[in-house]
Amino acid sequence: MSTVDIELRKVRKVYFKDRLEIPVLEGLDLTIAAGEFVVLMGPSGSGKSTLLHLIGGLDSATGGSVRVGDAHLEKMSERERTAWRSRHVGFIFQMYHLVPVLTAAQNVELPLLLFSMSSSQRKERVRTALEVVGLSDRADHRPNQLSGGQEQRVAIARAIVTDPDVILADEPTGDLDAKTSEEILELLNLLNSEFGKTILMVTHDPRAASHGQRTVHLDKGVLDREELNPARPRGAAAMVS
Amino acid sequence: MTLTYVLMQNLRRNTLRVVLTAVAFALPMAVFVAAISFVVALAQISADMEKELRLGVHHKTTLTNPLPAGMRSKIEALDPDRRRIAAVCGMRWFGGRVPDTQNTLTSIAGDPDTFPLVYSDVGMTAQDIEAWQRDRRACVVGRNPVDTYGWKQGDRVTLVSTVPPYLQLEFNIVKIVENRERANFFWFRRDYLVESMKDAGVDDARCNIFWIKCKSAEGLRTLQQDIDALFANSPDETKSEDENAFVANFTQAMGNIPGLMQTMAMVVVVIVALVAGNAMMMSFRERTRELAVFKAIGFQSGRVFLIVLSESIMLAMGGALLGVVPAAVLLWLLPIRLTGIGPMIALEVTRLGVIGSMAIALCVGVVAGLWPAFQAMRLQTTDALRKVA
Repeated sequence: MSTVDIELRKVRKVYFKDRLEIPVLEGLDLTIAAGEFVVLMGPSGSGKSTLLHLIGGLDSATGGSVRVGDAHLEKMSERERTAWRSRHVGFIFQMYHLVPVLTAAQNVELPLLLFSMSSSQRKERVRTALEVVGLSDRADHRPNQLSGGQEQRVAIARAIVTDPDVILADEPTGDLDAKTSEEILELLNLLNSEFGKTILMVTHDPRAASHGQRTVHLDKGVLDREELNPARPRGAAAMVS
Repeated sequence: MTLTYVLMQNLRRNTLRVVLTAVAFALPMAVFVAAISFVVALAQISADMEKELRLGVHHKTTLTNPLPAGMRSKIEALDPDRRRIAAVCGMRWFGGRVPDTQNTLTSIAGDPDTFPLVYSDVGMTAQDIEAWQRDRRACVVGRNPVDTYGWKQGDRVTLVSTVPPYLQLEFNIVKIVENRERANFFWFRRDYLVESMKDAGVDDARCNIFWIKCKSAEGLRTLQQDIDALFANSPDETKSEDENAFVANFTQAMGNIPGLMQTMAMVVVVIVALVAGNAMMMSFRERTRELAVFKAIGFQSGRVFLIVLSESIMLAMGGALLGVVPAAVLLWLLPIRLTGIGPMIALEVTRLGVIGSMAIALCVGVVAGLWPAFQAMRLQTTDALRKVA
């Protein structure tokens, strides 16, 4: 089990479109403790997904610093961030994005192709990941033979199969019904509480947000407010600056 | 699971499109292989002919303008000591078809006494030559008509001429020629033709061409000059040329076929590149988000570039492989196989044609996949993912 803290200092992100500057994040400070489950909320365009992408190393900040564990992402090249991401970050997307021509097990195995690992070691990792998400009996099913909830479970297994420090989930229940959403959120809770994963989840759904230990509200690229969830007390302290 | 397996599975993503693209690739590649095979066959046959030291003498104006049969003795008289000439064979075009078929065979009547000497490369044994000289209706046949019509040695076969007086003659097969470059030929005795024409009321023993087997390259060159000089300013001026030049002139008289074939092959390659490029662009556009996820989970841009490029190459190579089979069938079915373009063509898919087409397919696969692969490499992961976030 591995876990890391996250620290963002005066993070700015500006997009350029047709020579127009579009500021998305404006001097954001945020600290997430190791093993914390934080929910990001806010209206469309508030910078939630951008923040997620910066922490995941998918994009680089225009200014400020982003540190995840020992990794100072603002100092890393795209190539270095990609290599780092493959070992330290697991992504979960709203639309699952599974490869339709591969089975559930093969989809989960995909990130492991980047590791120096024998076929049997990969299979063992895949089996464990599918067990954690409760889909051992669907290993040979293709995505079109699975329900939406099962597809998202496969996507979660794919995100955790490399044993990452951080899990970044971008509206993971946005395409699911209430019951299935609840199951997925319970699964994320399990990854947080049992496996100690630091989780950052973007959502618009207050019910989904209630599963996090802390909810951070963004508005127009700045931190608007934060709420601690008394029902989900956290062990480590988190700090909003 | 390996990345190659993932690539193979990706080709199954839209089976219908992959099949249609592969077929769209295979058919032009079949034409390409056929065209290259033609050019290669022509080059090969020209190379073989140079070794045979044969000099062809025909009318200066055109091959269809016949020359008197007596020219043979005048040509032979140029070399009484037989230092340069091995044998002279007068030949006449018959243009026969098997009754009720459309394919005209390269059927030619030759002098019975000298034909085996002039065409020693067809490999007639002493027994074959004896049969040829004993039987007035003897014929020597190449492999293509034998295979097409199911003939065998000893069979009696019938041909109907496509030129006046449109004789229908019967022949006995005394020899089947295995030489690839002689696969379309049907030779028979000129004395039989002359007598049959006389019986039909046409007294014409003239020849379209005299083929002279020379003893040396130097002898061939000097004979060429001596013969044309001998008949200069006569009613029957001649043009002498070696067999290689004769075939080249013959094919060029029908248009620059090798050049045309090469141009056609180039056009085919361009069309195929456009088809493959379009398919790869469509495939890339459909999978933009998926490729973004590949990058998100840690695949480097270079690796994503190779994934897309490899798919393009696999599709191109697969299509090209599929194209070789129809090419072989195409060459077999085309009437060209029996009639020959030029007197010496035997078409088949050559190893060089197959290797060449695979090499071209590799290049086309690279060219077609390069832009989509570059796009995939440059893909902004966040932009692609934002569409669903």
